[in-house]
Amino acid sequence: MDVPMNQEIHKFPQSKYINAVRWISPHSAFEKFIAMALHDTDSDVSSIEIHSLNLSNQPNLNLQSSWCSNSRVSSLKVSQTPNKQIIAASTFEGSLHFLFFHPVDVSLDSELSVTEKSFHSGPISGIDLLSNGSECVTLGEDGRVNLVNLGDSRLNYRRVFDSQGLVSYTAAKWASPTEFVTGGLGFSLQWWDKRKPGGVVSQFKGGWASGNTSGIVHSVDIHQSRKHVCVAGGSLGTVFAWDLRWPQQPIFLSGTGSNELAAHSPSASEVWEVQYDCYKQSSSISNTSSARVLPVLMCSEDGVLAVVEQGEEPIDVLVEPCAINSLDINPQNPSDVICSLEWESVAFITRQ
Amino acid sequence: MPGLLSENNNSLVPFSPEVRDPIVYHLHNTPKPPISRLSISWSRGNCLLVSFFRTKLPSSESDTNAVENPNEEIGGKVVEVKLSSENGEVDDVQRRKIAYDSVSPFALLQSHKISAAALSNMSLGSSNPFNWWQHIMDYSKDIKALLENSKPPPSSVIEDPMEVLQTVEEPNSLKAAWELLEIFYADKQAQPWLPERLVDWLADYDSLLSSTMTTVHSKLVDLQKELVNLQAIEDDPKYWEGLSSALAVGWLDIVVKLLRLHGSYQLDQLGNRETENGLVEAVAVLVSKMPRMRSEWNESILGECFKSKPDFMKSWEKWRGQIAKLECSAFWVQCDHRQTREGLKNLLQIMLGNSSILNTVTCHWMELYISNFLYVRPFTMGLDGMYSLAQKCMQVKPLSNTHCLMGLILGILGDNIEVVLAECSRSFGPWMVAHAIELLTAGNTQAEVLLHEERYNLGGISIEELHRLVYAQVLSSHPLTWQIAPVYLTSCTKQGMGLLEILLYKQPVLHNQLLLKVLEICRLYDLYSISSTIMKIAGVYHWKHGRKGSGVFWLQQAQDEVRLNKIAQQLFDFVGKPISDTSFKQWEGLIELLGSEARTAGGLEFLHKYRDFKKSLQQVQDGKAREAAQQAIESLILLMKNPSTPQRFWLPLLHDSLMLLNWQERPLLNVSQTNLLLNKLQDLSIARLLPDYVEADLPTQALGSVRLALATNLGRVILEE
Repeated sequence: MDVPMNQEIHKFPQSKYINAVRWISPHSAFEKFIAMALHDTDSDVSSIEIHSLNLSNQPNLNLQSSWCSNSRVSSLKVSQTPNKQIIAASTFEGSLHFLFFHPVDVSLDSELSVTEKSFHSGPISGIDLLSNGSECVTLGEDGRVNLVNLGDSRLNYRRVFDSQGLVSYTAAKWASPTEFVTGGLGFSLQWWDKRKPGGVVSQFKGGWASGNTSGIVHSVDIHQSRKHVCVAGGSLGTVFAWDLRWPQQPIFLSGTGSNELAAHSPSASEVWEVQYDCYKQSSSISNTSSARVLPVLMCSEDGVLAVVEQGEEPIDVLVEPCAINSLDINPQNPSDVICSLEWESVAFITRQ
Repeated sequence: MPGLLSENNNSLVPFSPEVRDPIVYHLHNTPKPPISRLSISWSRGNCLLVSFFRTKLPSSESDTNAVENPNEEIGGKVVEVKLSSENGEVDDVQRRKIAYDSVSPFALLQSHKISAAALSNMSLGSSNPFNWWQHIMDYSKDIKALLENSKPPPSSVIEDPMEVLQTVEEPNSLKAAWELLEIFYADKQAQPWLPERLVDWLADYDSLLSSTMTTVHSKLVDLQKELVNLQAIEDDPKYWEGLSSALAVGWLDIVVKLLRLHGSYQLDQLGNRETENGLVEAVAVLVSKMPRMRSEWNESILGECFKSKPDFMKSWEKWRGQIAKLECSAFWVQCDHRQTREGLKNLLQIMLGNSSILNTVTCHWMELYISNFLYVRPFTMGLDGMYSLAQKCMQVKPLSNTHCLMGLILGILGDNIEVVLAECSRSFGPWMVAHAIELLTAGNTQAEVLLHEERYNLGGISIEELHRLVYAQVLSSHPLTWQIAPVYLTSCTKQGMGLLEILLYKQPVLHNQLLLKVLEICRLYDLYSISSTIMKIAGVYHWKHGRKGSGVFWLQQAQDEVRLNKIAQQLFDFVGKPISDTSFKQWEGLIELLGSEARTAGGLEFLHKYRDFKKSLQQVQDGKAREAAQQAIESLILLMKNPSTPQRFWLPLLHDSLMLLNWQERPLLNVSQTNLLLNKLQDLSIARLLPDYVEADLPTQALGSVRLALATNLGRVILEE
């Protein structure tokens, strides 16, 4: 599991804790923009900052614009439409904020937010923004699932479900404009269809966990071309795929919970984020049959950023002495990966 | 008052002078006694909160005071005092970066230590000393690398001929101190070349000393500024002063560069200043040919390098001979330019080791010391000799303004580990001490005994452990660095684990991400009992705050049967009570949650069945008649047959199903079923006579009405059959 040599790694110390990083689509192909959710522990100020990434002989991040948040950001998502960039951020205080980014004059414009007490009680643990930016799903440990509709200049939200704290949700991802998937405690996954009242359409309970220990799903992802399969990452180094056609048979890509994979698992601790790795896919397109799960990039608490693939040895992209808390693959150029490290820095990796 | 403190130099904690007006909060309520008058607590970062409380005055007096002076605080006030860091050069952000980066080298060295100890235990005393020195050097180099300032100044591609001093990077005292320790304690390979290492050290860090006194470096910086404006630099005494000073401390490349700027090199002057130019060039060549005893050849260092002493001595004699010859040369007479003649002769005197000239051209004792190494006693070896030389130099040039590095150098030369430690601690803080101890103990048996000895007055721990613990405490006090404290705490054998436990218990469990980070540390160090306690704390916290799912999840992870059973008991309390639609849903969800736990099956099996029963009953009430009623009866019979159903629930169950027993259409129970229920009722009546029977919370006529219903039902069934 050696780190491949054919890649460039740059680290950018930030002097603040980084809660999340995301790519933002630039106006022109020569620019690269990054959105970061930061927290300054000394002054207790949280902010969202837009940086441009310069890859000259001395690569650096340049602050372009920033916005102050009233509380720590718990989840950050960006809609990938070129003309209208929307950054959605949820906070630990249970509020949701939308920022509009202008790629031409590189500034954060207006802000719309939901701050009502009745929206969520306690922190929002996961959000996802539809790719056209029109709707955002939010969920929290309080067991509420809300849909926020982003109109022209106003927001309205409706409650899809409220488990009143009996079920806690931790991660969300849209599958289509009407369906989304959520993850939660006990490695559970839920499939929702907003056209059907009453909430969950299909459910997966992760009862496989060995012995008495179970885990939490921290991140889910769905590939645009295969909407029936979603991958989830969580505790015990677990990355698994859930195919709606065989809803009770998860496919494991990594994790110490199952015996046959334990020896090859790149991580034994929390997998904080998973994303389908389009870059790896393009390089080994010949042996990707439709039945196989596409390769997945994951980052973990024990400092591993690795590509895991069904039936193959994992490939480490980056190994750090500290946790890697979030990652994002550049949708315009999948060889570029950005990730945030526990020790107040951002790492940029470009694979060749 | 804080204002007074800042003027007082005897204050215990350094007080940053830039914050003149600390933030003051006024308290409007007097705290109730018993409470102390003064309270001090840490706030965020390096902020200290000092609270003054006023004790309640006799009522009449306090009333008049309040009226007269509305601004006067009633309860007292809280002053926020921002404490400055120990070292002005390094700010908090940089300090954290250093802390992060030094984790890996430290942990690596510790693991080497452990494996080396294990190896030497297996095969007695056969540990490889060479390997060990390699590890120490690797560690020292890693640490040195992370102390480097990250931003090198932009260097222009075209070399400026006038630029005599080249700044490669901004030096910092921390790195200078570390390099000193490395030279003297870690780099055993370089021991024979100690003086030359010090020459290099001063060349890198003389600029640091400029902050408190004039140095050769500061002289050269001034000269550099003037060079551009001077037409004939050889006429300026400053030029010659700078030259001789640079030569005295061995900065040969600068000397040669400066000499080549001499006016006689200019093409239009070459013709009539031929001799002068020849002399300048001869001195420049001699300077660049100076024999030096160095371990490795470095491109940037001028001179001829020798690794062995005999070769060096031979060449040294030859070189001195050449200088002496040049001194007596006849060409000096033909040199018309007085300044050049005197300046060059001065340079030659320096190279010949003329101590009075060395005294005048150097600025402080360290520079004098270095010049002595280079030109007076090039064969000085051994720490004793170096120390006495240092003392002599200090007598000549006493220190007026002590720089923090000076104390450290003296401690090292004096071979006094305690002084070295104290200087490190005073000037550079806990990080330096915790990491430098590794170098101090590397090969020095005396130091090892001193630092590893367990001391009664330190509570049975060694000095090494004490300093690691102090550093770990510093790390623990910050929300971003506490995660690396365990690396240092686990290397402390006596008290590390205890403090680690406290540290882990102190972390808030509010958010899952932080909680999981804490649990990961527990997993890394096999602290299973701590992790299960923390999970219990988290479980109860979430449960109390209405996140029942999370609560149950964490309690299950902790395998906390006691609390899970308590939760199950709460569910039992629902039995027999009318349940509304919404609470039924909740209740059902809770059973689902607990259901994944195998061990509480006994109680839960009952609850599952009761839920089915209740569900059918509700359907009956909703008017979905027959089948539902039949289903409810089946559930009821199952429940009553099941031995795990507690006796105290029998009556509530039967009372719940009164409607079924009195079913209008036709009797739903057959004879045997009715008999079973009647028998249970009989048992219940007997049990009621026992002293420990607990009466169910039901109407008084409940038993009677159930009995009546059952009897009626029996009658109807018999008739029907």
